[in-house]
Amino acid sequence: MLCGMDLGSRSVKVVTMEDNQLIDTFMFDTIEFYRNFGKKYHEELIVDFRGLGLPVADKIVSTGYGRLTIKIARSEVVSELKAHMLGAMNQTGLKNFTLLDLGGQDSKVVKVNNGKMVDFNTNDKCAASSGRYLENMAKVLGISLNQLGKHYDNPVDLSSTCAVFGESELIGKIVEGRSVEELAAGINYTIFKRVKPFLMKMLTDPIVFTGGVAKNKALHKIIQDELSVQVIVPERPQMNGAIGCCVYAGDKL
Amino acid sequence: MRKVGITTTIPVEILFAAGVVPVDLNNIFVTHSEARRLVEIAETAGYPRNVCGWIKGLYGTVLDSTDINELVAVAQGDCTNTHALMETLEMEGVKTIPFSFPFDRDRDLMRAQIEKLMRYFQVSWDQVAGAKEQLDTLRKRVWEVDRLTWEENKVNGLENHLYQVSCSDCEGDLTRFASKVEEFINEAGQRRPYEGTIRLGFIGVPPIITDLYDYIEEQDARVVYNEIQRQFSMPFECEDLVEQYLLYTYPYHVGGRIQDIYEQVAKRQIDGIIHYTQSFCFRQIQDLIIRKKIQVPILTLEGDNPGKLDARNKMRLDTFLEMLR
Repeated sequence: MLCGMDLGSRSVKVVTMEDNQLIDTFMFDTIEFYRNFGKKYHEELIVDFRGLGLPVADKIVSTGYGRLTIKIARSEVVSELKAHMLGAMNQTGLKNFTLLDLGGQDSKVVKVNNGKMVDFNTNDKCAASSGRYLENMAKVLGISLNQLGKHYDNPVDLSSTCAVFGESELIGKIVEGRSVEELAAGINYTIFKRVKPFLMKMLTDPIVFTGGVAKNKALHKIIQDELSVQVIVPERPQMNGAIGCCVYAGDKL
Repeated sequence: MRKVGITTTIPVEILFAAGVVPVDLNNIFVTHSEARRLVEIAETAGYPRNVCGWIKGLYGTVLDSTDINELVAVAQGDCTNTHALMETLEMEGVKTIPFSFPFDRDRDLMRAQIEKLMRYFQVSWDQVAGAKEQLDTLRKRVWEVDRLTWEENKVNGLENHLYQVSCSDCEGDLTRFASKVEEFINEAGQRRPYEGTIRLGFIGVPPIITDLYDYIEEQDARVVYNEIQRQFSMPFECEDLVEQYLLYTYPYHVGGRIQDIYEQVAKRQIDGIIHYTQSFCFRQIQDLIIRKKIQVPILTLEGDNPGKLDARNKMRLDTFLEMLR
């Protein structure tokens, strides 16, 4: 059995696979994961697999946020973008597409031609187009992420390029009396506007959309309508990186 | 001896002709053991956080030094932040001498700028010609360091960077720098060539990141072309000083740089390019031109303050090299 781990900034995703078939998926809060189930020994992180309720795997491959600072004991490491590309190919069966992965803090765009990465870009120094931004804004509006992800009509224009200042701008719009639906649509459009330049540079039809933010249905529709391309969200968008780790582990066997 | 700071490459022939010691402030700043403190000097004085780290570092370097009270600053062709750098340093009692590279490479304007600088340092064309002869001999030896990098594969990217970048001020002493270069060529010539590594080009301003070349080499890749640093060595045979500084690509329209990059990528069999820019720099806009015109894989890398590579840039470099393999 193979185990893939994606050490994200907000959550740790774990997937087990055998013979290219998915067996199980797990998700843990990143802080809890490190605080309660990880212990640094020399330069490696010993993970309490039993404590986490994880099965014993023949091979572990990890990727993600902690990749450069933490190496999980007994694991092999694969770069984040490669893991996500492999995960997307496995989940969709496609070999030519542009991958958009929007996670807790990171935004990634990868252009894939004939199953090979030919170009990529990631956000830098700013997490304004990430899941954390959506979480903060949903909190300000007092709605769930699920509700936030339903609206795309009559978006309020939000101009701030900073996720933190964006909150006060949003409060200003609430004071102006704009509806929650319009505000939610505006927030979703803000994400689109931030990733549009990256997508335009390496646009392919279709776009495979992954990461926690891919659960936002409104954003899915906005990208599809605005860029006139098919947007495919695989069955497990958030597990995509961990699935890619398993694929990598399988290829190496 | 009289020391004069410079903000980037200028016709340094004039300073050597005048018996003045040129000091490239960038080199002092980035190799300083407390480079971050120098940036903080500028930020404490009121330089905004979202301004290039180099400019802040130059300000801090001048104020921190005890012997640099005079500065030739490139007011056109390098960075417009230099205008405010000059103004703020003048307020602190530093004498600043502006120098401009004409954007359209106008020969008469270039000559006028050079002659103005000659008048300031009170040197004749004959004296400048003497200094140029000495510098030309030295620069040719630095070309040899570059050739040993890409053709014989005996010099690494960091060494290539250091010897070429030092050509802006020749470490203030032509004789000493010449023998340092000679010693290095003798040593490097004996080495066994590097084998089988990914060949990278580094384009854009010299990096503020201190461990970039080392990290690249740890990943089994090597920089065999440092674009702007190579330009500092004036890599063209040219008798006329005005013509020489018109052939120099860095301060003018990006088209000249692209032509140079295009030729060198082919000649040096480069697999991929790192386009380095500073955060908040206008050169970040030029990335879109470079990406359209240069047909090899390009990684755009951004640096802000002096220091080591951050996790995100490491991740980008890893992925880029993986993509090239």
